[in-house]
Amino acid sequence: MKRALYLLSVLLLASFVVAGCGKKDEKKAEASKAGITIGSLGPLTGQYAADGNDIKNGVLAAIEVMNPEMGAQGPVNLQAEDDACDPRQAVAAANKLINEKATAVIGAYCSSATIPASEPLIAAKIFMITPASTNEKVTERGMPYMFRTCGRDDDQSKAAVKFMTDQLKSKTIYIVDDKTTYSQGLADNIEKLAASSGLKVLGHEHVNQGDKDYSAVLTKVKAAKPDVFYVSLQNSASAAPMLIQIGRMGIKSKILAQDAVYHPQLIELAKKDAEGVFLTFGYTDKTTPAYQKFADAYKKYGEPGAYSAYAYDSTIAYLKAVKAAGSTDPEKVKAEMMKLDFDGASKHMKYRENGDSGSNYVIQVIKDGKFTNYWNPENGELFK
Amino acid sequence: MDFFFQQLVNGITLGGVYALVALGYTMVYGIIQLINFAHGEIFAAGGYMGVILISWLFAQGYPPFLCLGVALLLAMGYCALLAMALEKLAYKPLRQSSRLSVLLSALGMSIFLQNGLMLTQGVYDRAYPGEMVQGGFEVGTVMISYMQIIIVAVTVLLLVALNLLVFKTRIGKAMRATAQDKTMSGLVGINSGRIISITFAIGAALAAAAGIMVGLYYGSVRYDMGFVPGIKAFSAAVLGGIGNITGAMLGGLIIGMIEVFAAGYISSEYKDVFAFIILIAVLYFMPTGIMGENVDDTRV
Amino acid sequence: MTIRASKLWFGYAVAMAWFYVLLWPLLGIKAAGLEFAASFAIWSKVAVAAAICLVLYQVKQAGAFNFLTKPTERVGEAASAAFRRVPTWLSLAVVLALAVIFPLFTERYAHDVAISILVYIILGLGLNIVVGMAGLLDLGYIAFFGVGAYTYALLSVHFGLSFWLCLPIAASFSALAGCLIGYPTLRMRGDYLAIVTLGFGEIVRIVINNWMSLTNGPNGVLGIKPPGAYWFNGASLEHVWLNHLEQLYYIILALAVFTVLAVYRLNYSRIGRAFEAVREDQTAAELMGVNTLRIKLLAYALGAVFGGLAGTFFAARMQFVSPESFTFIESAMVLAMVVLGGMGSIPGVILGAVALIALPEVFRGFELYRMFVFGGVMAAMMIFRPKGLWPAKRLGARSEERE
Repeated sequence: MKRALYLLSVLLLASFVVAGCGKKDEKKAEASKAGITIGSLGPLTGQYAADGNDIKNGVLAAIEVMNPEMGAQGPVNLQAEDDACDPRQAVAAANKLINEKATAVIGAYCSSATIPASEPLIAAKIFMITPASTNEKVTERGMPYMFRTCGRDDDQSKAAVKFMTDQLKSKTIYIVDDKTTYSQGLADNIEKLAASSGLKVLGHEHVNQGDKDYSAVLTKVKAAKPDVFYVSLQNSASAAPMLIQIGRMGIKSKILAQDAVYHPQLIELAKKDAEGVFLTFGYTDKTTPAYQKFADAYKKYGEPGAYSAYAYDSTIAYLKAVKAAGSTDPEKVKAEMMKLDFDGASKHMKYRENGDSGSNYVIQVIKDGKFTNYWNPENGELFK
Repeated sequence: MDFFFQQLVNGITLGGVYALVALGYTMVYGIIQLINFAHGEIFAAGGYMGVILISWLFAQGYPPFLCLGVALLLAMGYCALLAMALEKLAYKPLRQSSRLSVLLSALGMSIFLQNGLMLTQGVYDRAYPGEMVQGGFEVGTVMISYMQIIIVAVTVLLLVALNLLVFKTRIGKAMRATAQDKTMSGLVGINSGRIISITFAIGAALAAAAGIMVGLYYGSVRYDMGFVPGIKAFSAAVLGGIGNITGAMLGGLIIGMIEVFAAGYISSEYKDVFAFIILIAVLYFMPTGIMGENVDDTRV
Repeated sequence: MTIRASKLWFGYAVAMAWFYVLLWPLLGIKAAGLEFAASFAIWSKVAVAAAICLVLYQVKQAGAFNFLTKPTERVGEAASAAFRRVPTWLSLAVVLALAVIFPLFTERYAHDVAISILVYIILGLGLNIVVGMAGLLDLGYIAFFGVGAYTYALLSVHFGLSFWLCLPIAASFSALAGCLIGYPTLRMRGDYLAIVTLGFGEIVRIVINNWMSLTNGPNGVLGIKPPGAYWFNGASLEHVWLNHLEQLYYIILALAVFTVLAVYRLNYSRIGRAFEAVREDQTAAELMGVNTLRIKLLAYALGAVFGGLAGTFFAARMQFVSPESFTFIESAMVLAMVVLGGMGSIPGVILGAVALIALPEVFRGFELYRMFVFGGVMAAMMIFRPKGLWPAKRLGARSEERE
């Protein structure tokens, strides 16, 4: 007991020393690390590590592009933090970023990490720009420094349902999701909208995250023979085995998925079973100079993932605002953020009052091993 | 009725994989009463070895079935070596300590190996190359793919081989003796350290085979693929009666079936709940599993 | 000596050869061809590091470091002798005082980590009742944490009940859940208990995840109120929300101190003795007149109470709960704290919680290597201190030690 107490007090003392050193280091760092610190937050380990790394790489690419332009305000440093998509770790990482004097945080990936992490960040007047959390609640809590570069679930479901009724002329659908804030939220929206647009919902099944065997559910789908099979899964790694098993099972329905399954590895993994799969995705014109600039900067990290371009644009937007404001003062930067109006890599960047940047979902199809723009819900026409 | 038979086919395939992984748990448990948490990671390592070796052999232009066979054997050997190293490093020094300490050491090694795989192989899924095994045939409207047949065939083959090894050879006899009583078997000249090593190696080889099968079946592998099947297989081993080899096979099959039929007929989101409820119910009425356990009565 | 040394180096050679055989296929076999450079680079670093460790070990064995270790040992002995003269209450007071002034010296990241540590201390102490005292292996303990967190979350959001009122409510709900889970497991022993508790933990998580109308499923519950308090601001009583990290820190510190006191008292009570009797030998305990079934249920219920308290605070602190916080790996972490610290020992469990929550945070600098290093360190700690960092001192040996 006594030795334990002794050890405890030593440990506590040690933690004081460490904390003290940390403070000293910080001061030193502040002196040497002039410029701007941007944090990135996302799952670098765990199930969604691939997406978290895409975000981090997007931010890195943007910093590289912007650094020469920042002049005396630069250089821009990145502090990448891991939240493992766990709310507790996300809040710890957010507090760490506050300590590190980050002025903006690009992230997080999972809506369930973004929402709790935003509380301390926004309270500390740090910008939080999510490139990936599409849940409506992210921006609908009236937080002044919360921005979103990707689209929203409700917009995406509208585009999907419009495609099914207008273009595919389908009568019946079958829905499956894997029960995450994002994938289920979207699937529920689809179910509601479908019912009101005259589509018959034959079934709505849920699978668990991390499952790879979907044979039981797919057998049901096969028996129901829907016109469209709507697949809402959290990422490409779970979608690939689903597509393979759909192919193996011989399901003839058209398959429609959403933006989270967008990733080059989907085609690499599912190979020919990915052919002909439709998905809703934010429209990106890959021929614009802005996209080319992004693609060049990103080259060394491999193929861009679903959220790489959004993370890139979020970072660019913030840095442009800082440059225009001439300082990192939150009020001034916020005013500049609202004035932004430029062509980003992923889309035209213009933030609205609530922090959203609008959605521009189109339908893509996987054709000859490539994601190809297919149909535009705005005018109901096929892309050429 | 077709629906039923289709689900039956699905269940047998899934159950076969669980059975192969469950055997590793049950054999290790039978001999040193340890829940080897790192077993799921060995399964994942097997899957990765499969991808790595098949990609390489495939690129050299060997025919698919040769690639598969050679990769299967090499991956089984690799995982056997990995498991033996694990045992020497993390479990052997703790042979005299409390069983919970070994359990935690196993948990630590599980995290370590999983992240080791992530660091060496990357966070993205790795695909099996080319079109390894394609297609299938239909009986009525029941779809049976060739891959499912390969999985069941390999599983049955390995199970028969294991049974022969355990019940017909000298090594098997020594393993059974060590499981019954380490001190006594030591007295009659059995090197228990070596037997424990061999047990780990065999369990790991089976897990490696399961890893490759699963990788081929789902088309890809990933560093954390061992976690969920690990827990399921562990449940299967307990359901059958932990330490009991026949029990583990049966348990694997039952868990696979419950999962598929619960998802097919009741609700796919609650399928794991049904699996666990049946497990708990069975243990409530048969506290030592379906086949009964095969070890003496020493517990935490 | 030389024979021993040569044997040691032979073992080293075998181990390194083995390591290379395991490492090379992971890094060296590419579809394009075979490579050796990358794997050799890593291997050589590990080999050199291991060789240095081995040399140091041998030199130490030969006594070359005596000039260093002897004086430090003497200093250590003197220090501990001096320390032994300090009365327990004084050292306790010092620790408590340090804990109380901790926020004044540190920044918010440290506060946040400290809060996490204190939450896990409560969880660890709760699980310690089940595992350490009563000897029932529980792999689903985090379920009670989840029950507590969701109880407060739902009561706060739907009925606006205050945190302080919900503490006992959530604790009793958790206790009820503990009895429910405990009941079917009463006949099982050892590892069967492990899998059944694991199963229950998963069932609770899956139900929370799927019961949309009650829990909002994977979307989690938003808008949970932080603890409130009445503050006399000179003129009138004013209601304030305690949502600053320092305030939360003091609340959880108070809860943790309460838990430590409760568990300490429990340890020396009749019930605590009964727990111990059940752990050592169930049959003998029954013969001595202990109602083993009731005692086991009580162990589950008491353990669950503290899980529920911690959960309530967790919900209030995050102001958001979602099922992702209650996965199996969290149960395993809490169990790791108990075993790593030393089963049945209060300071041990506290140390274990500090180690397991602080380490991943310390390792944040390693980025991708964070969990890799953590797993290795965890296994190494178990190998070098198999009885835990600070094992409990007990009369007589425990059954699992005698095995």
